[in-house]
Amino acid sequence: MRAARGVLIAAGVLGLALGAYVLLDTVALRRLPGVALWIGAAIVLHDAVISPLVFGLGVLTRRAGHRLAGGIIVTAQAAIVLGSLMTLIVLPAIVAQDLGPKNPSILPLDYALNLGLFWLVLAAVSVLVSLWFYVRTRRANQRPSRIQS
Amino acid sequence: MRRLMYEARAQLASPVRNPRMATVIGRLLGLAFLVCFGTGLYSHFLQQPLPWMTFPTRPAGLYQVTQGTHIVAGIACFPLLLAKLYVVFPQLFQYPPVTSFANFLERASIALFVGASLVEITIGLLNTYQWYPFPFPFKQVHFALAFVIIGSLAVHIGVKLPVIAAHWRAAPVPAPEERHPVDTGSVEASTGADAETAQSSDEGLPRTRGLTGRVLSYIDRTPELSARTSRRGFLTTVALSVAAVVGLTAGQTFAPLDAVNLFGPRKKGVGQQGVPVNRTSAQAKVSTTALAADWVLTLAVGGAERSFSRAELVALPQTDVDLPIACVEGWSQMASWRGVRLRDLVDLAGGSPDADLRLISLEQRGGFKQTEMGSEYVRDPLTLVALELNGETLDLEHGYPARMIAPGRPGVLQTKWLSRIEAITA
Repeated sequence: MRAARGVLIAAGVLGLALGAYVLLDTVALRRLPGVALWIGAAIVLHDAVISPLVFGLGVLTRRAGHRLAGGIIVTAQAAIVLGSLMTLIVLPAIVAQDLGPKNPSILPLDYALNLGLFWLVLAAVSVLVSLWFYVRTRRANQRPSRIQS
Repeated sequence: MRRLMYEARAQLASPVRNPRMATVIGRLLGLAFLVCFGTGLYSHFLQQPLPWMTFPTRPAGLYQVTQGTHIVAGIACFPLLLAKLYVVFPQLFQYPPVTSFANFLERASIALFVGASLVEITIGLLNTYQWYPFPFPFKQVHFALAFVIIGSLAVHIGVKLPVIAAHWRAAPVPAPEERHPVDTGSVEASTGADAETAQSSDEGLPRTRGLTGRVLSYIDRTPELSARTSRRGFLTTVALSVAAVVGLTAGQTFAPLDAVNLFGPRKKGVGQQGVPVNRTSAQAKVSTTALAADWVLTLAVGGAERSFSRAELVALPQTDVDLPIACVEGWSQMASWRGVRLRDLVDLAGGSPDADLRLISLEQRGGFKQTEMGSEYVRDPLTLVALELNGETLDLEHGYPARMIAPGRPGVLQTKWLSRIEAITA
């Protein structure tokens, strides 16, 4: 274990050094602050914006759904996370498309429409899944003996 | 400050934030990173080979698969990386923030690891959209950060190896101390699997007063989900997210998914003659030279130079091949090409099939106006100087009057608007 850890850490430091060398070797010096800025901004964006939002979402959904089965809350959370993630990935495509791609075969789809459809399907599916959870929980509550036996 | 950090960790505690989950998601993310790194290096060296390198020319769709996989694995990193960060987020609130110099280095390397990974996948995604809103060059930074990430990954695995080894397999019943990824035991929170125990989570600490205290107790009164529901819900969400971001974009590379390609930056069959275009004739500024009546393709491969007009090329024996165009941006498109075998053309011009070639385009500027082709591709019977695409004369946007098409190479090396082919004398 000790040896493996040593090798991994040494190899890692070597990789980091190589990365730093490649960066200094191939990227103009005046561009490097931009790289550092983006790395720093990514950390801040995640730790100070995305994470608190996700935490708040967890608290709010659990409170709003406190009378409902856990499965329904999780379904709603999953749908919101899934939709937000897809929006995060597709939104830049919509912006880039709006700015005008360099030729018509780049970004040829109607991404905004597809994203809207994605959210709609997501909402419909989560309602169905929630209904299924609801019915299942009700049945279980009405016939407790079957669950307990 | 210390209490705030403890409070933060207690509030953030969750049944999915434990070392076992960090190991499970970490393994997948590590695998995705390694796949990206390997396929990325392959693509890099195809474009900038070291002198001793040769590459396989079969299967002909090899690059289509490696680069398609690079993009697919890269996009899968979005949910996986966010999930991993979600699991270990309470670690951010360690107190004291730094315990020793080694600990400082470790935390700094984690910060670099996280920041570099987020930037790497983001600029990679933006590159597939051909949108460059960042103040640095894409290719060089994407390449350099790859080493930074793999380096910090190795350091991270080295540091965490005992934890990873202990949680490689699921414990039959998680012990209470495994509820928290960090940690000191002074964070009590929900040791039980249900809401009751969570309610009493911070008995050991004096209550925080004021607004912070009110917010905290509001959060405390929020019912907890059962541990099992939380864990299953989390894993299901991660799995669905990966399936969605991959499934709805990968159709630009992998034909069976074309029907559900809702969000891919390219669409199969969209473009002149049913093939997407990367660099246009207008961008390359070749519209005049490529359409000039006196265009010839000159071969300087041995002895005297020899030039062929397009009519002369068309008069030579023609070969039909089906080869994909596969772009570094991940999309690919199968197409039927017709033209003269490069091998035969080199023969005709008195060259040796064992020489590496330099391909020169009509392009005046751009990184790929001049590229090199290893002899393994020159010898390959599938490599053509293509004159027709999908049954029609090559479109100007696809490299009219003549372009190169070879098996297993990135699109940027399938030189369009060919002007001159030279043997590279060693």
